[in-house]
Amino acid sequence: MKPDELDRVFSNESEIVPSSGFARSVMAAVRSEASAPPPIPFPWKRAMPGLLACVVAIVWGVVDVFRYPSRGSGSVAQTTMTHWIDGVVPLLDKARMFGAEWVLLGLLLTYAGLKLTWHLAGRRM
Amino acid sequence: MDAREDQEDVERVLAGDISAFERIVLRWQKPLVNLAYRFCRDRSRAEDMAQEAFLRAFRGLKGWRRDAAFSSWLFAIATNFYRSEMRRIPEGMVPLDSIEGRAALNAGLIELNDEDRGRAVRRAVSALPRKYKDVLVLFYFHEMDVSAAARSLGLPEGTVKARLSRGRKILRSRLPQFLGELILEEAQ
Repeated sequence: MKPDELDRVFSNESEIVPSSGFARSVMAAVRSEASAPPPIPFPWKRAMPGLLACVVAIVWGVVDVFRYPSRGSGSVAQTTMTHWIDGVVPLLDKARMFGAEWVLLGLLLTYAGLKLTWHLAGRRM
Repeated sequence: MDAREDQEDVERVLAGDISAFERIVLRWQKPLVNLAYRFCRDRSRAEDMAQEAFLRAFRGLKGWRRDAAFSSWLFAIATNFYRSEMRRIPEGMVPLDSIEGRAALNAGLIELNDEDRGRAVRRAVSALPRKYKDVLVLFYFHEMDVSAAARSLGLPEGTVKARLSRGRKILRSRLPQFLGELILEEAQ
């Protein structure tokens, strides 16, 4: 079968006519959709303390891991890691003197706030 | 179809006049049902699918950007939904490896009219891998307009052309088998 024949077969496809009640049925569904109550929004106010607690716990955990790196048994990989961490810890301690964890937390919250604002603004456009 | 009428009706719906959506439905019901029918080959299912496509369009009406024609936006929504619906519940698949069918064709028993050839082609299209089938369906639905098919599918024109070419090639190689099956069915 040549391409022209394929074109001919497809172009001569008979069309079907929607049943007489189709538009009515669509409009009934549309009206029911329009009269339905709006979806319940995510309870950001209630969830915020929990989310904040999670962020603080994660930051705390990361800082803790870097501050006390030599806990547990010492494998080769751990020793290498410890050497690397030994170099980083003084930097972290210095950063902590200037309240780096709070700066980090502040940045995370700002980022989350910005994302939320973009999301809400995008929904209304 | 008048694009201005669509725009006016959309503005009315967005202003709270839901009955204006009925004019949109009446204007586009036939193309949307026919497009669905080309995907599923089942009249009743085509209407169900078209109804859901209209509902999705109604829900997302605010998201229509006026830089594209309303029809392009509507077809893109419908196509997207129809494709995912066909992935969820595919139409009845036709087996590809019917040796008897091929043998009957090769034996020179072929005396097929246009209608039979059309049926065989549609069966062969149904059995194509989905990405080629979707492109072929949309290409012919949009009266062989590659850019319209590409807009509906949300794909670059180059991809549509490549899939079209590959799909036709597969179709041509498999068609004899489907023609043979048809002959066998009619002989039984």
